[in-house]
Amino acid sequence: MRRVLIANRGEIAVRVVRTCRALGVETVLTVAGADRDAVPARLADAVAPIGASYLDADAVVRAALAAGADAVHPGYGFLAESPRLARACDAAGLVFIGPTAEQLGAVGDKLAARDRATAAGLPVVPGGAVGSRAEATRLADQIGWPVLVKAAGGGGGRGLRAVAEPAQLDAAIERATAEAEAAFGDPRLYLERLVTSGRHVEVQLLGDGERVICLGDRDCSVQRRYQKLLEEAPAPLLDDGLRSGIRRAAVAFGRHLGYRGLGTVEFLVDARRGDFYFLEMNARIQVEHPVTEAISGLDLVAEQIAVAEGGPLRLAQDDVRLAGHAIECRINAEDPGQGFRPSPGTVTRAVFPAGPGIRVDTHVQAGSAVPPGYDSLLAKLIVTGRDRAQALARLRGALARCEIEGVATTAALHAALAADPEFGRGGADTGYLARFLARRAGTAVRADVTDKKAAAAGARRG
Amino acid sequence: MDLTGDDVQDILSLLDGLPFGELHLQTARFSLTLRRTADGGWTQETQIRSEPTIAPAAATVAGEATVPGGGAVPGGGGVPEGGAVPGGGGVPGGGAVPDGLRAVRAPLPGTFYRAPMPGAPPFVDTGSSVEPDTVVAIIETMKLMNSVCAGVRGTVAEILLADAQPAEQGAALMWIREDP
Amino acid sequence: MADIELVDTSLRDGNQSLWGATGLTTAHILQIAPVMDRVGFRALDFTSSTHMGISVRTHKEDPWELIRLTHAAAPHTPLQFIGSGLRFISWEPVHPDLIRLAYDRLVVAGMSRFVVLDPMHDMEAVLRTARMLRRAGAREIIAALTYTISAVHTDDFYAGLAGQMAACPDIDRVYVKDPAGLLTPEAARTLIPAVRVRLGEAVLALGDDDPPESGSLRRNTKPLELHSHCTIGLSPLTCLAAADLGVAALHTACGSLANGTSLPNAERVVANLRELGHTVDIDDRLLARVAGYFTDLALAESLPAGQPREYDASFLRHQVAGGVMTTTRRQLDELGLGDRFGAVMDEVSRVRAELGYPIMVTPFPQIVCGQALYNVLGNERYQHVSDQAIRYVLGRFGRPTAAVDPDVADRILSRPRARELTAEPPPASPAELRRRLPARISDEEFLLRATMPAGEVDAMLAAGPARRHYNPGLKPVLDLLAGLRERPGMSGLVIDKPGFRLELREGTRQ
Repeated sequence: MRRVLIANRGEIAVRVVRTCRALGVETVLTVAGADRDAVPARLADAVAPIGASYLDADAVVRAALAAGADAVHPGYGFLAESPRLARACDAAGLVFIGPTAEQLGAVGDKLAARDRATAAGLPVVPGGAVGSRAEATRLADQIGWPVLVKAAGGGGGRGLRAVAEPAQLDAAIERATAEAEAAFGDPRLYLERLVTSGRHVEVQLLGDGERVICLGDRDCSVQRRYQKLLEEAPAPLLDDGLRSGIRRAAVAFGRHLGYRGLGTVEFLVDARRGDFYFLEMNARIQVEHPVTEAISGLDLVAEQIAVAEGGPLRLAQDDVRLAGHAIECRINAEDPGQGFRPSPGTVTRAVFPAGPGIRVDTHVQAGSAVPPGYDSLLAKLIVTGRDRAQALARLRGALARCEIEGVATTAALHAALAADPEFGRGGADTGYLARFLARRAGTAVRADVTDKKAAAAGARRG
Repeated sequence: MDLTGDDVQDILSLLDGLPFGELHLQTARFSLTLRRTADGGWTQETQIRSEPTIAPAAATVAGEATVPGGGAVPGGGGVPEGGAVPGGGGVPGGGAVPDGLRAVRAPLPGTFYRAPMPGAPPFVDTGSSVEPDTVVAIIETMKLMNSVCAGVRGTVAEILLADAQPAEQGAALMWIREDP
Repeated sequence: MADIELVDTSLRDGNQSLWGATGLTTAHILQIAPVMDRVGFRALDFTSSTHMGISVRTHKEDPWELIRLTHAAAPHTPLQFIGSGLRFISWEPVHPDLIRLAYDRLVVAGMSRFVVLDPMHDMEAVLRTARMLRRAGAREIIAALTYTISAVHTDDFYAGLAGQMAACPDIDRVYVKDPAGLLTPEAARTLIPAVRVRLGEAVLALGDDDPPESGSLRRNTKPLELHSHCTIGLSPLTCLAAADLGVAALHTACGSLANGTSLPNAERVVANLRELGHTVDIDDRLLARVAGYFTDLALAESLPAGQPREYDASFLRHQVAGGVMTTTRRQLDELGLGDRFGAVMDEVSRVRAELGYPIMVTPFPQIVCGQALYNVLGNERYQHVSDQAIRYVLGRFGRPTAAVDPDVADRILSRPRARELTAEPPPASPAELRRRLPARISDEEFLLRATMPAGEVDAMLAAGPARRHYNPGLKPVLDLLAGLRERPGMSGLVIDKPGFRLELREGTRQ
């Protein structure tokens, strides 16, 4: 591979450029609009303007051919899991750095992925496809209430709707169908039992089409509306037997697919009962891959490229040694005080922490534009320690030294999470963040009420 | 020199034991500022300074596409209003040649000059009539002057670069409205 | 014209020739290994047991881990190990089973190409070693024809050896190794065809029932490579002659690790080959990047950069390398005998002939020059003889190419010291060595402990895993910061050069 076209933007574009530079592989970055002047464009060896959208597979292939690239790295999001892009690359003689188009299709369709997981012997969350309204209600009764309505063409926490009782199901399905069609071009839905107190544990896989190895697990339970805010590796407070069961199941699924490249199998884990269920598989490099890199010493982008070049895995499972604990905070351009409203604009100051065990993956610097219309991730702060306690202590210090100005960010929220005793104990479930935010809002309301009472008292006195 | 996170760690492990509170490192490609904070930790602030480079083939290939109907230009990279493109390089590849116009392109990479010598009147202006052999610009490469001809019969519609701006090979320098 | 491949020698022979074999650490190598992997080299001349010992002793780094990490970083380019098959790390010969174990471990760790080097050309030993390597799983085995100029080292001599190498199923390729850079283009124009003819006649043994004509079907031309040092400026030209003569691969080095007493500069060789109409399928951009890296590294580490060399006609006669000559001259000056230098150089030629024309590659220049010095200083010749010279005559360095002069051999071996050295016990087997060492250590650690002082291995293990990251551009800044520790009382610093600015300030506490 001599030249890679990176069909993405933001911090993952910077990430891929960094590894390619170390390997001696030239990089050409697709840029749309203002991204032409952004930091990733300045780091890549060259840029290929592609109009206004990162979602045009044909434009990506054309740009790759015109730039003389021999491979395409799709990053995450955008076309990263597009079988169409993978097939278009194959047809054009370009290497698609990722799994095969078939594998993308197999796990990209979340409903089909459930079936494949079941076929591979994995437990899945009780659920099934949504057929007619009557069937849906029957299914929901069967699997138990409340239920989660999910888009078969969704994934990554998008297109999910909780339904508490039968009376709300029809309306929910109707709305969800319309939304799925609009967002994913695929109106199909499926239902799953809504597990209210579970943990989101995922396993990182690396395969070469024949062998699949596991590079450890991650806990991504800290979520707001199914979007991850904070991840850590390894998943804390998991019984050894449960952890190895989850890892084995993930590898079995990867082998069942003959998986090639990086992929992550996500599970819903009931740590108390020792149960776990397959949720979905993400056939791409993930946002939170740095925490796995931190505890394994591996460069996952380099491993992706090595597999894409056709080599067998350079590592055996026994070569994978995990040590320490890593936590990643996604610092987004959002205002938690305003309902997490996105805060586009221009970054006027971007000062990040530095020091032992601290890694910052970002594409922003002072002067960077944060355009509306793309995801709001500004930077990933990844902190590693020899154990979770040290990682957490370092994280607190690191967050205190983050100074991003010009746009609102979630940095202060992460600092509050890092100081929260419940998070400090580890093993928080997927409901944790909502409870935490409610507590914070409650405290704010109580403070507000107290102030008003005092003001009223003062007014009466005065 | 390019810096990675490992490099920053290497610098900090030495800097931490020195009595300095701030290090500032600057090259043509980047600047890095490391500052010690009250809690004994450090912050880093990086500024990438290198300019983006447009992939050569992309600049010429994308520019050939014509837009159907009305002269509308696709968003995010069309012909800007009124004159020179800031930032150098000619029209980046994202721009399509507007309907009814022909591009005059730089035959070589170099500096675009509108006049035969400094202080002289420019070869052409917006509205000038040109023949195929009319010299409309000079591209100077390595101190050698190369004349650029209009290539078509028509009227200069728009000049895309300012005098003395750098141009890449194949970059569009001006649009000519071809005579019917 | 021909398609020529390159074997890069920067990491081993370049490092050894120019930087005492101690210039490159694990971090230096790993930083550039992925890029070297993509250049398109046929192989990387990567290590020898001497270099492995230096990893342990000088850098306190695990040489086995270095091989593993480099192989992982450069999975597409074979890594080459060079050795004689007689010793491992230490200067003492070792038991063959220890060598077998070493070869097994080297293959497992990631070495796939092996050079069998015996400057004495004891073919029995060479074939034995080649078979050991094949059994250990080596993928490509190269036998070396070590070039020198002497009465016995004629084209016929080398052709005869090539014939034996051609017939050996455990040898895949042959290379002409010219450590002193003596091979002129003219000499190459007779030597290489003579060798290639014999390599092209390799006929594997016919079975009784095979018709004689099938011999032609088994013809197996083994490719020939050239490895010639730039010591007197000949190699860059000889390489071009070799390309015209059908040599399949040329050994080169990159950036500051090229030229001088090292191998020719790869970029220049590639350009010249193409100028003559040959093709070289390598990535020029990445080759330039590798060359730039070693040049930046040399600057950052204050290591000498190889320079093109002037032709020295006398070198073809005495063949004593510059370093050895300088040392000998210095020793004579210290003894107040500087005026005897010419006599010593004459004596070198005599001693070399009497000792059976050892090829003047380490350790033989030292042995020969040392003996020449003793002969000039003593009341009579061979009054004083070093242990190494005695061991040489005893055949401990291999069987001398030509017979040692019988009178000289007699003189040397009748010494009491010779009897002591003859009675030295044969090398211990691995089983015996294992008994003397701590139990339950890995084969790799055992191989180090069996051949090196325990303290050195302990120190290497205590130092922990090697660093893997290196940035030559940043090194001056890091050196500056480290140096500032010794300069207390500085309140600030500014360095301002074109394209570079460094400021250190007391700063305001935030």
